[in-house]
Amino acid sequence: MLSAESYVEARRGPYCKGCGHPLVLRALADALARLGIPPLDVAIVTDIGCVGLADGLVAGPHTVHTTHGRSTAFASGMALADAVLGAGRLKPIVLIGDGGATIGINHLVSGALLNPDVTVLVHDNFLYGMTGGQSSAFSPVDFVTATAPQGGFLPPLDLARILTAARAPFVARTVAGDRGLVDVLERAIAHPGFAVVEILELCTAYATRWNTLTGTRLRDVAAEAGYELGVLCDEPRPTFADAYRTRAPASAPVAGKASSVHRSELDRPVRLVLAGTAGERVQTAASILARAALSCGLHTTQKNDNPVTQGTGFSLSEVILAPGPILYTGIERPDALLVASADGARELAAAGMLGRAGPDTLVVADEDVEVGTHEGAELRRPLRAAAGPKLAALAAVVAWREATGAIPAEALREAALARVGEEYERCLIMAG
Amino acid sequence: MELVSGNRLTALGALSAGCRFFAGYPITPSSEIFGTMMEELPRRGGLALSAPDEISALAACVGASLAGHRAMTATSGPGFSLMVETLQYAVMTETPVVVAFVQRLGPSTGGATQGAQGDVLFAELCISGGGTIPVFAPANAVDCFLLTRAAFAWSERLRTPAIVLSDKEVGMTLEGVDFAVLPEDPLPPRPPAVGGDARTVVTGSAHDAQGRMRKSSPEVIEVITALQSKVDAHAGELAFVRADLESGADTLVVSYGISARASLEACLRVRAQGGRVSFLQLLTLFPPPVEAIREAARGCTRIVVVEENMTGLYAGMLEPRLEGRDLVRVNAVGTMVTPERIEAAC
Repeated sequence: MLSAESYVEARRGPYCKGCGHPLVLRALADALARLGIPPLDVAIVTDIGCVGLADGLVAGPHTVHTTHGRSTAFASGMALADAVLGAGRLKPIVLIGDGGATIGINHLVSGALLNPDVTVLVHDNFLYGMTGGQSSAFSPVDFVTATAPQGGFLPPLDLARILTAARAPFVARTVAGDRGLVDVLERAIAHPGFAVVEILELCTAYATRWNTLTGTRLRDVAAEAGYELGVLCDEPRPTFADAYRTRAPASAPVAGKASSVHRSELDRPVRLVLAGTAGERVQTAASILARAALSCGLHTTQKNDNPVTQGTGFSLSEVILAPGPILYTGIERPDALLVASADGARELAAAGMLGRAGPDTLVVADEDVEVGTHEGAELRRPLRAAAGPKLAALAAVVAWREATGAIPAEALREAALARVGEEYERCLIMAG
Repeated sequence: MELVSGNRLTALGALSAGCRFFAGYPITPSSEIFGTMMEELPRRGGLALSAPDEISALAACVGASLAGHRAMTATSGPGFSLMVETLQYAVMTETPVVVAFVQRLGPSTGGATQGAQGDVLFAELCISGGGTIPVFAPANAVDCFLLTRAAFAWSERLRTPAIVLSDKEVGMTLEGVDFAVLPEDPLPPRPPAVGGDARTVVTGSAHDAQGRMRKSSPEVIEVITALQSKVDAHAGELAFVRADLESGADTLVVSYGISARASLEACLRVRAQGGRVSFLQLLTLFPPPVEAIREAARGCTRIVVVEENMTGLYAGMLEPRLEGRDLVRVNAVGTMVTPERIEAAC
């Protein structure tokens, strides 16, 4: 038969006389014993501060002492992994103070939204105890602390309201000495999801020294702060693991592999830059070219660049095709510049790429796009008018291939059909 | 052959090693690792979690790892900054976890789409007390796959976090890869720590051999020093390098990551013109493969260290260990080091 001592040792441990922490620990042990959860299915995950000294009193369960404010994030990872990937037996119970909850409020909010099977006990004694009694976000108005010797003037953070708004399925607030504490903890632990209990406590090292505060006065403090006590929310909803299992997509097909079926006579590396407008499938055109090269047994690299904004401004792709391994992936001297739009032309000039074009560089450009001064040879085609803006870059690749014969037409055609389908025909309008 | 990026192969390498849990927050240039994991893990029965921030991401990974599941996150410099607290926790609690760190131009938010090798010491020296974390540096997509697997293997063997340190150019460049050469055998299963049938006591605070929080004592100091000595003891086995040495060479070029590619190209050009030069690519950056470097540098009076950061960070770390040889730094900021500049330094 499991007793409270199966979970927590029956001694006060390192805590001050009158401190609320051992009262909560005792109530936690009683609640676990009532529920009869095997001790090794429980992980007591503690935060930093006096509350983190509880590890040394834990008897049967695992203990994980974490960093300040982060305990809920560690516990959530543990619970989610166990529920989805493991035996689904692990019940992390977080012990955190109001200081830790102030630091890690985002982890509590995330926990509420994610809904892992984690219980969080917030030991709220209105201050940071271990570091000398400084105010926390939970300190009430007029509460005297080491950092508010005249009494605080900021309103306290109402954790229950925050977490209720964050859809926590179980939220309770109670007082450490309350007879009903064990019942509340039992309900919270049994709740199949994220359950938070804020427990108002005395810090007898600082709070009672500087304030007129007793165990019975805690209820008045709650009333003055406008806090409701009791179970404030108990609305179970599917846990993360339940929802994830239902939503996890079935196996989807993987992208087709390019197998080497064509031949290329290419005997030296060719370096191309495709330049156009973001959203006009410049990278798609580059990827079609790269896949076509792979299908010829060539080595290839493709690099894409666009502004931090998505879908506006320029889009640039650099492609290298080579008969052997490609080491340096940069392009110092381009063999071809494929210009599909004015945005692309501007970026080529701005990035200094246009200036790197030499007499051997072939510049394939839309006939209406103004390309700056360069030393290369120009090939003008009605890329945008004939193929449309979204295929202009691919049409430039087609024109480049026709002019150089670097890869067979069939290789490019197959790679293009796999990606853009019959639309590819529009890129061929300029052929011959 | 498939056209695939280093980032995608980092994710696939992790999956091949048996990674079942990923929690991350997307950041350029690492986002494709996040995207690949979000796509691939669910369909393979794993768990991919979109975390609200990097602190939550790594904490969730450490929690999952404590529960016995292989876990990884991916980030770049700004996100790694936020992860340091939890990385230290993983060191102190001896929790295996892999961080794929794809560098971009810093400091701060820096340049999201510009490559850099500016975090090479930051990734390593962020541990108070100086504990060594294994750091691997892939230079191409296949390296990303293989070194991510190595990171998982060593992370578990040494019970430590391990870092796969690539950069924008390695992570985001697409290359043709023959998937048939990629190994697929997963690592052996891991027993759960927390949640298993033996009671586990874990703490990031100074602790005795039983994991109990203790003030400084000879036993506590022994536990802390063992965090380092367990890595030191395997430094030789961890020293992955690729050597392309030439007899009679006076100069050794040492590089890693993206800069190693330009370095090898430069060495090949030097040789094509009748020059003699040796080349050493470091796949392991930490623990520093000092013996392998000394071995490769035998007979050389000059060592050229090539890396894409302002002051030659790794070179500075190596300098006192090079026993009087001339150290030449070739560096670049905001752009890759070109083969021409390396050739000129040889």
